[in-house]
Amino acid sequence: MTAKGKALPQPALPLLRQVGRPLRRVDALGKAVGATVYAGDFTMPNMLHAKVFRSSEPSAHIKQLNVNKARALAGVACVLTADDLPDGKLITDMPGQTGQERRKESDAPVLATRGVRFVGEPIALVAAETLAIAERAIELIEIEYDALPGVFDPLEAMKPGAPIIHEPDNIVSSWKIRKGNAEAGLASADLIVENTFRMPFLDHSYIEPEAGVAWMDDQDVINIRVCTQVVEHFRSIAQAVGVPHNKVRVRGTMIGGGFGGKEDITVEIFLALLTKETGRPVRLAYTREESILAHSKRHPFIITHRTGVKNNGRITGAKINMISDSGAYPYLSPYVLLYATVTSCGPYRIENLTVDSVSVATNNPFASAFRGFGGAQAAVAYEQQMDEMAKALAMDPLEFRKINYLKTGDSNAIGQQIKSAVWLEEEATQALAALGKKENISDDAIKMGQGFATTMQSYGRIMWFHDTSRSWVGIEQDGTIVVRCGAPDLGAGQANSLCLIAAEVLGVSLTDVTFYNSDSAVTPLAGTTTATRQLYMSGNATLKAAKMVREVLLDRAAEHFREKPNNLDLAENKVFIKSDPQQWLSLADLSKMCAADGLKLQHLALFAAPFADKLNPENLQGDIFPDFTFSAHAIEVAVDTKTGEITVLKSVGCHDVGRAFNPIAVEGQIQGGSAQGIGYALMEEVQVKDGVIRTPSLSEYLIPTAKDLPTTKAIILESGTGVGPFGAKGIGEPALTPVAPAVANAVANAIGVRIHNLPLTPERVLAALDHTKKG
Amino acid sequence: MLPEFELLMPRTLPEALEMMDESSTVMPLAGGTNLLVDLRGRLSRPQTLMNIGGLVELRGVHVEDGYADVGSAVTIADLKRNVLIAKHGQALQQAATVFANPLIRNRATIGGNLAYGSPAADAAPPLLVLGAKVELLSKDTKRTVPLKEFITGVRKTVRHPKELITAIRWPIPPEGSVSVFRKLGLRKADAISVLSIAVMLHRKDTGDCDQVRIALGAVAPTPIRVAAAEDFLDGGPLTPEVIAQAAQLASEATQAIGDIRGSAAYRKRVITALVRRLLTNLAKGTKEKKH
Amino acid sequence: MKAKVITLNINGRRHQVTLFPNVTLLEALRSLNYTDVKNGCEKGDCGACAVELNGKVINSCLVLAWQADGARILTNAGLGTMESPHSLQEAFADAGAVQCGYCTSGMIIAAKALLDENPNPSETEIREAISGNLCRCTGYAQIISAIKMAAKKMMQQKAQE
Repeated sequence: MTAKGKALPQPALPLLRQVGRPLRRVDALGKAVGATVYAGDFTMPNMLHAKVFRSSEPSAHIKQLNVNKARALAGVACVLTADDLPDGKLITDMPGQTGQERRKESDAPVLATRGVRFVGEPIALVAAETLAIAERAIELIEIEYDALPGVFDPLEAMKPGAPIIHEPDNIVSSWKIRKGNAEAGLASADLIVENTFRMPFLDHSYIEPEAGVAWMDDQDVINIRVCTQVVEHFRSIAQAVGVPHNKVRVRGTMIGGGFGGKEDITVEIFLALLTKETGRPVRLAYTREESILAHSKRHPFIITHRTGVKNNGRITGAKINMISDSGAYPYLSPYVLLYATVTSCGPYRIENLTVDSVSVATNNPFASAFRGFGGAQAAVAYEQQMDEMAKALAMDPLEFRKINYLKTGDSNAIGQQIKSAVWLEEEATQALAALGKKENISDDAIKMGQGFATTMQSYGRIMWFHDTSRSWVGIEQDGTIVVRCGAPDLGAGQANSLCLIAAEVLGVSLTDVTFYNSDSAVTPLAGTTTATRQLYMSGNATLKAAKMVREVLLDRAAEHFREKPNNLDLAENKVFIKSDPQQWLSLADLSKMCAADGLKLQHLALFAAPFADKLNPENLQGDIFPDFTFSAHAIEVAVDTKTGEITVLKSVGCHDVGRAFNPIAVEGQIQGGSAQGIGYALMEEVQVKDGVIRTPSLSEYLIPTAKDLPTTKAIILESGTGVGPFGAKGIGEPALTPVAPAVANAVANAIGVRIHNLPLTPERVLAALDHTKKG
Repeated sequence: MLPEFELLMPRTLPEALEMMDESSTVMPLAGGTNLLVDLRGRLSRPQTLMNIGGLVELRGVHVEDGYADVGSAVTIADLKRNVLIAKHGQALQQAATVFANPLIRNRATIGGNLAYGSPAADAAPPLLVLGAKVELLSKDTKRTVPLKEFITGVRKTVRHPKELITAIRWPIPPEGSVSVFRKLGLRKADAISVLSIAVMLHRKDTGDCDQVRIALGAVAPTPIRVAAAEDFLDGGPLTPEVIAQAAQLASEATQAIGDIRGSAAYRKRVITALVRRLLTNLAKGTKEKKH
Repeated sequence: MKAKVITLNINGRRHQVTLFPNVTLLEALRSLNYTDVKNGCEKGDCGACAVELNGKVINSCLVLAWQADGARILTNAGLGTMESPHSLQEAFADAGAVQCGYCTSGMIIAAKALLDENPNPSETEIREAISGNLCRCTGYAQIISAIKMAAKKMMQQKAQE
């Protein structure tokens, strides 16, 4: 599978002093010594403890709800049901953007009104003096349901006569791509390959369950300290609670992992309602079981590829069908489906393409954002399909892909031209080279296999959302730097990257930068920490603000040195003359000079992503994302053919990240993405039967331990062609996307047969092997 | 949060037995790795718990009179590193090595693992092949029950409410005996067993094997010995054909059920494969390859 | 349910506290503001609440506070501070072993317990030792490098003593 790739153009990246070095992240030591305070760690004097009463039924009318006993319990401060609320909806459209279309009627109510649509749907809220009393009060709530027929399978839900979750039908969203003539393309093929792939519900399983504390201040502002990826939810919270937007302040904390699961509102509205009602601080922290019950899931998808190919390996056309299970409420399902649709055929040139996708409501747990956001599910299908086609043609999987890979300047499935580097061939070649030869195992029961996947994943928002970010950079009179930016830090180093940019531009060391982030009231709004967008969006905003400060400093220094600003530079906390570095002035002194002159040493900058119009829904042709990251991942597995057990022996990720801000952090993203991808492929599944989660805790929902993974080798390429600061692309989501299909391809390579459903459990491995024997 | 309960804190074994005698609703608490989880999930609501994890009388491991004797509050971590266990209970030591995870192993006890009565208790199959007995003490009585008879159903044992498991003991296997434990979980650490297997046999000087014992976990309401397969193998040479047939018998002897971790059919099939593999390796003195 | 006064000896500080028997050590530690001990699952699945109890690493969610009466308890915050971090804490910060940080305190305590017993562990031994501590961000690789880095440094320090 190894062929030498063409020599890469060597980009002449500008020399940077801080960016690109393996510096300790600004947030690392505080976390390492246990000093960082997370959302669940806050307490307030006079604080109440909250619990949520949830539905045990997947589909039912609430015949009677009686909270009198709970209200009467000593120590209970407040019990709220839908009757006590303004007609609040949990708004599930893309937060931070306005004017989007959505099916308002199908948004989730804050608390269930007349009926429930999934197990775990919130029905009532309790706040009490202690957690024990709150738990007792929950037990005292009496409810009587009239069970209604439910539907738990998206295919069933599309049939006529199926129970309707939200009127008028169960179709939450649908998209289509029409490009060229798929029929003609297929007709001209020498060979047609058709496969259907299925993927399950997944749980994010961040180690920190959702938590928050809310209180009213002396301006009647509801303050909410919470672990969230989106502080801009303050508007939706205000709307749901019935107060003006400026009376809710979300103060995001360092987040104990999110991966999309803390993108939608979790505890915020409940906290706001209870604190507003009681006038007292309220804390709400989910248990692990409640977390699994209450937050979104990764969408299950059923994806069918019908692809035509010439004997020479050129793809002539494809028809792709995608069905996702959105669960009981849409949340971000339409957008997840759009991402999946746009990347449905992967990073390949297919001129004749038809894609039809649909997201379907069921009485299952609701699905929404999860790292990869539909792009990951699409990749599971298209990369397995590519291997199956190569197999059908008896071609090497890489040679086959090379014939069809997108190249820089080509247009993708929706006709968007890719302007940044597309290094797929090089990435796959390098990943496979690093994987090396298959290990030799002298045991007949053990089969070894290698596989890889190459994928594309967008970074930055859909351009018709008109995405913006703001950041503020200032220099203090002692030469230290402050960055204020609303970007929440998920733990992936978002804040650190912003600090690094300021340090780079202003010539200080990273430790001279202090950041304030994730506060919807006092840090400039920066948009969501989702969609692999913060380095791109807030990074560019911070770069812009820092350059504005730099310009002021250099202008003043130029006056001082009687030099042109261009001849000066900032480094090591000094301004100096480039041609004569012995002539320098400390930043502290320069800053004082500027202050004395009344110059503006703090700048707020706005960065706007390129805007585009909404795509034509009849064909989805046009520009949709600012750019894509292209990636390869290679995997070697050992499969025990007697027990079906799979062991991942080697793992290599190769990504063009444009510019690696911090190689250790980039490696960490690639390794963490690998772990989640391997979990996706091999063991993770939220099992749902008749709407009930059968994997309710981390004893049943298994994520990889240290013993389940090899060390993933990260190969970092830097084309410098990204649209992020200094040419960076995004890596958060792209790190995950190629991994699960690479594992699936390695397993198929090992056992000689394709397992079409994830996860690849030992049982499925044996079943697939049986199938070959029979076949 | 945990529900309300009283917690007794005896300092000695006699004091503990006295406390149990006074009330029939005292639930002994050792490592708590199962019991506290069940309490929190409201799966069990005992009024009174009694902390026995700290009782030194229950924490010894000795060999005497041809028996290995392990106190019921000996932790799984202790079993893992104890040289006597490594010598006289290989399969048990191997089970301790792959039991849950290191943090759990530092709390969970051998007595607790059996007392809980889980079909998937990882200590049970090794102790079954070792022919272990469970010592039960109350203030006035003492009895010893073969482990085979101790667990009677899912979460059911013959322990009387006033009795405490004080020790587990088994006859030291004769020279030439070897035993092995294998568990199949859905991940490589900290996984509830989809199935577990312990096999013990005695290698005679002639090269043949006898005293073959096979025990299985997670494939019936209790961990089980599979007499049908054992009897079939008894005394004869362990040829590949004989092993294959015995493995088949072992699988047939189970009442595997399907659950979220795997179907009944899968379990039955893998029992055959693994019993065969373990017997073959033990007979040959080879080890299963690790990946 | 009757409460009683117990003594919790945490990171070298003695706390006399009156607690009900159904309070877990995790709850007790957090209520005394040892919030570096994290609540991740309350049933021993994740290891975020790991502390040392008389020198052994355990899940504090599966120990009752009364069972820890008089025992020595060590949490990650007891190992070092921002000004004077422990070698493991420093190595975690430098090696990229810290992303979201929520598993970190438990992970470091598990690593510390390993190095106490085995100052120069192999990669396999490290993986085994942290297999009860889930991390969802890093894929464990940089955690393993951090433990190796710290082990090396601690051995060098010991050799110099």
